[in-house]
Amino acid sequence: MSQSVLKPFKAIKYLFATPKTLRYPFELKEPALRYRGFHVNDWETCTGCGNCADICPNQAIEMIEIPELVSEPGKTNKRPRIDYGRCCFCGLCIDICPPGSLKLTRDYFHIHFDPETFVFVPKDEQTEPGKYFPSDEYSVLKASLSHRRKDYDGFVSDLKYSLFDPERVPMPVVPPEERILSFIEHIIGYDREEARKEAARCLECRLCEEACPAHLKISDYIHAIFEDKPEESLKKIYEDNPIPSICGRVCMAHCEKACSLSIRGEALSIRWLKRYAADTVKDFKTALELHPGPPTGKKVAVIGAGPGGLSVAYFLRLNGYEVKVYDALPGGGGTMRTGPPAYRLPLESIDRDVDYICSLGVEFFFNTRVGKDVLFEDLLKENDAVFLGTGYTRSRSTQVKNYEKCELALAFLADTKIGKPSKVGREIIVIGGGNVALDVAREAIRLQHIQYPGEKTVVKTVSLEDWDEMPATEEEIREAREEHIQFHPAWGPKEVVVDESGKITGLQCRKVKSVFNEQGRFAPTFHEDKEMFMEGDMIIEAIGQVPDFSFIPEALFNKLEFTERKKLRVDENGMTSISRVFAGGDIVNTNMDAVTAIADAKIAAQGISRYLAGETVSA
Amino acid sequence: MRELELYFGPQHLGMVGNFSITLQVEGDRIVKATANPGFLHRGFEKLMEQRTWIQNFPLVCRINVVEPDHMELMYAMAVEKLAGIEVPERAQFIRSIYLELARVGSHLFGLWAYANMLGFDTVANWAMYHRDLILDLFEELTGGRVYHIYLWPGGVRRDFPEGFEDRIRSTLHTIGSCVPDYDDTFFHNRLFYERAHEVGKLSLEEACRMGAVGQVLRATGMKKDIRKTEPYAAYDQVDWEIPVRTDGDAYSRIWVVRDEMIESVHMIFKLLDKLPKGEAYQRIPNPFKWKIPENEVYVRCESSRGELGLYLVSEGGDKPCRAHFRTPSYSHGLTILEKALENESIADVGNIMISLYITAPEIDR
Amino acid sequence: MQYELRSMFEGISTEGDGETRVTVKCRKETVITMLSFLKKTGFDHLALISCVDRINNNELELVYILSSYGGDAAMQKLNILVKTRIPRENPQFYTATEIFRNASPYERELHELFGIFFRGHPGLTPLFLEREYDIPPFRKDFDTRKYVKDVFDQIPFVDDKKGRT
Repeated sequence: MSQSVLKPFKAIKYLFATPKTLRYPFELKEPALRYRGFHVNDWETCTGCGNCADICPNQAIEMIEIPELVSEPGKTNKRPRIDYGRCCFCGLCIDICPPGSLKLTRDYFHIHFDPETFVFVPKDEQTEPGKYFPSDEYSVLKASLSHRRKDYDGFVSDLKYSLFDPERVPMPVVPPEERILSFIEHIIGYDREEARKEAARCLECRLCEEACPAHLKISDYIHAIFEDKPEESLKKIYEDNPIPSICGRVCMAHCEKACSLSIRGEALSIRWLKRYAADTVKDFKTALELHPGPPTGKKVAVIGAGPGGLSVAYFLRLNGYEVKVYDALPGGGGTMRTGPPAYRLPLESIDRDVDYICSLGVEFFFNTRVGKDVLFEDLLKENDAVFLGTGYTRSRSTQVKNYEKCELALAFLADTKIGKPSKVGREIIVIGGGNVALDVAREAIRLQHIQYPGEKTVVKTVSLEDWDEMPATEEEIREAREEHIQFHPAWGPKEVVVDESGKITGLQCRKVKSVFNEQGRFAPTFHEDKEMFMEGDMIIEAIGQVPDFSFIPEALFNKLEFTERKKLRVDENGMTSISRVFAGGDIVNTNMDAVTAIADAKIAAQGISRYLAGETVSA
Repeated sequence: MRELELYFGPQHLGMVGNFSITLQVEGDRIVKATANPGFLHRGFEKLMEQRTWIQNFPLVCRINVVEPDHMELMYAMAVEKLAGIEVPERAQFIRSIYLELARVGSHLFGLWAYANMLGFDTVANWAMYHRDLILDLFEELTGGRVYHIYLWPGGVRRDFPEGFEDRIRSTLHTIGSCVPDYDDTFFHNRLFYERAHEVGKLSLEEACRMGAVGQVLRATGMKKDIRKTEPYAAYDQVDWEIPVRTDGDAYSRIWVVRDEMIESVHMIFKLLDKLPKGEAYQRIPNPFKWKIPENEVYVRCESSRGELGLYLVSEGGDKPCRAHFRTPSYSHGLTILEKALENESIADVGNIMISLYITAPEIDR
Repeated sequence: MQYELRSMFEGISTEGDGETRVTVKCRKETVITMLSFLKKTGFDHLALISCVDRINNNELELVYILSSYGGDAAMQKLNILVKTRIPRENPQFYTATEIFRNASPYERELHELFGIFFRGHPGLTPLFLEREYDIPPFRKDFDTRKYVKDVFDQIPFVDDKKGRT
């Protein structure tokens, strides 16, 4: 080892090198592309879910209400406010942000005398253009939270590295080629591990609970599933929803549309998890430990054992009312019994829910048509209140030429599910683009495979709406296409073509120009010159349903008030314009699904309780 | 001669970091030295008990300012072991590269402190500038210059940006090309030898008895490095040597630091050549629902100062039950320093202290 | 290794993966003998003395982590965790400073953060803290938030505007 006294003087050569020091503030160092500086937040995509505030290790983020923003399903009017006295720029808030609206920029200068300015609600360049400057107008001498550089994103969210899991646990399904051969339930359902894994994805931001019409305590029951306590979970569900087996299969899942995970990934499978809770608990009676309240001595009649009727009966029974439910069908469920095909909602699942409500002491009168077997007037006389949950029970028809040769959707569905399945054709045309039309088409293709095994058969659908405006859910369309159902969107039926013997040979269609007019009302227009003939030996119309109020005597019916959208007008207690008559479900709301019927039923049940307790004065 | 009691630090020009030593001196000879830590005690381990598993990440790196990365690694490794999380191979390589960069950065910082202390300001400024180049790399990779919060359970927080490997190479070439200058000006400088030779000498037996680790131990002749004895990340995937010296004085310790830096740079090149393709991150469970079963784990690694360990206990909750960092400066600063200062002169206090590579935040935690 | 320890000492239980970590749980009385035995066997590096407040059992768990300096490769890989439990009320234990010199600061730390008195320690003075606490601050029943509130809320705010005018 040679030590030297002279060699160190070699360093003198650096006297002539260019200095490495930056002459701040005339020279600035550009921060790296991933720099973690101040926040920006895109208010448009921010859902106000509050996950950033929950994960912040320093409690630097607080969600504050912004009065000028409106809360809507899947979005609150809260936005994060950041205290830069506490923030440590770790970026956990970025990695947990489901919409990716919160970002860190490369700005890091803030100089101010007022400590209040360090508490800051981040917005972005679109919302506050006056505070962001292009690089040539930007000056470091003015730099602050309100003088920032434009297009200066730093550390931003990356789905691959996010703290939440954007991908759903795949639901096991029966493959299409197998499921079209029978009415087997094609969604197999999660097992314990899958359900817990899926439940673990929930961020508990509760956006879904706001979006759910019946406001189920979704986060709580999902958390119970995560903790492997399905009984707890079912208890939470039954606080707001007495038909989990049904809703766990056919709910329209407004919650999943609001789920914050759905913005950049797949929504949490809230519906399937509800189904898991309901299917896993073998004995509802012992698991739930629910008991009817102390008898009030008041009697309520419920017309229609659909979701609305069942729920109102359940809620009232828990409050100690004597409830009698009347329905023309041989079992409970109403439209749920006849409508949703067996491969989606088997009768056993309906009966589990109905049986449990029955076990609470609700009396059911099936095969009893009000207006025929028992009179509406008598019910009104014998009971303290009557709830109408009769739903939409009659199919609408296209009324085109020879329409009387066609079958109607609801009758077809009901026959297939609880009656004697009709003899189907080899080439079936279904008119309609909604969920009911697809139910019909998918049942028809199954019946074809059962009735003509091995033969060449086809099911086609014709709808006025084009792909992008088709009312059926995406999931339903995807599954139908997997089953090789042919779609003919944007075609309108013109005439049912029959041969001389009166047998259907096909459908003459016209090309649709537009379905809705400028006001967004339904008013289809057609290209008169573009026509198509579609071959077929059976046509089923599935273009909508109408309610049936024929059981109400005319004198009373005339007293009923309707809204512009032809719905029954009810007050905040769910009471119609006839005193003591309450209503809910499809005949009241425009969503026309089970969970909204439950929401109506909850309102009506509370209304009936209040009314019968004498809290409201009769109208 | 009369004995005097002197307070060396924390407000002392010769003191690096928030640390203090009480000296009993006779003339300029130290009779007894008592280390007096606690100026940076922030109670991190207690704070960790009140934060969820993921919320602790921004916290652990702050335990040691000079070199936060090994703290992150320890916590990530402990959580991975407790929760049974696998780390993809690419992430292991990225971790090793990242940790070696951190080691070079930390050693350059140490070199700055040491050279500054001895009055070699030129070398100190070079070291600081070269450390800054490494911080630039960290900034590009992680978004932060000092606190990176980059090593996560399940891998790393983001993959390398486009062309990052080449930028690591070119930065290391820049630093490497200055090694002859460093050598001529500092390491082979007669003045450095005179100042550091036979100062703060420790024998191998003494070092072992007092719990020495890292280059303090390696400077006394023992070839021990956790990266070899219990390999983690990708250290068992490449060949490298443990630099050793035998004299056990300040001079040897600084030479070990120099050799280690060069070895690290070589290792980074080898790791970059072998860097596999693939995923760099295995997603961790939802942080809001993350509970770790009841268990406990002790993990250790070779930080740039020596053996760094973490004893982490979970009681099945969403927060740790107890975390205890075993930091290399603890024994160095509280036991060995007191011994090494005995019979030395006051002028060598800073010399010995920095050659032992003591960082106060690591002791206090 | 585990077998050997079990045959030599009474009332201990061992577990571990055999390769990298071995946990030895022993009675209060055997710990010091155990440590000195392990040191003689080659586990001569005391890495850490830690303490876990097992408040549910009303016990403090002391953990000594040992490894080897000069042993062979297999031994160097191994870490031995020697554990024992002592009551939470008036906790007392024996010092290990006689065996490991670097045990001293660890014991001082545990003394001030957990309130454990190590008998025979040459200078059990405070290490980090400057205040006295009713409950040793690293125990589970010490509420940091309450402490922060009690101490710092008493400090009056500086009226900034008044100060400037």
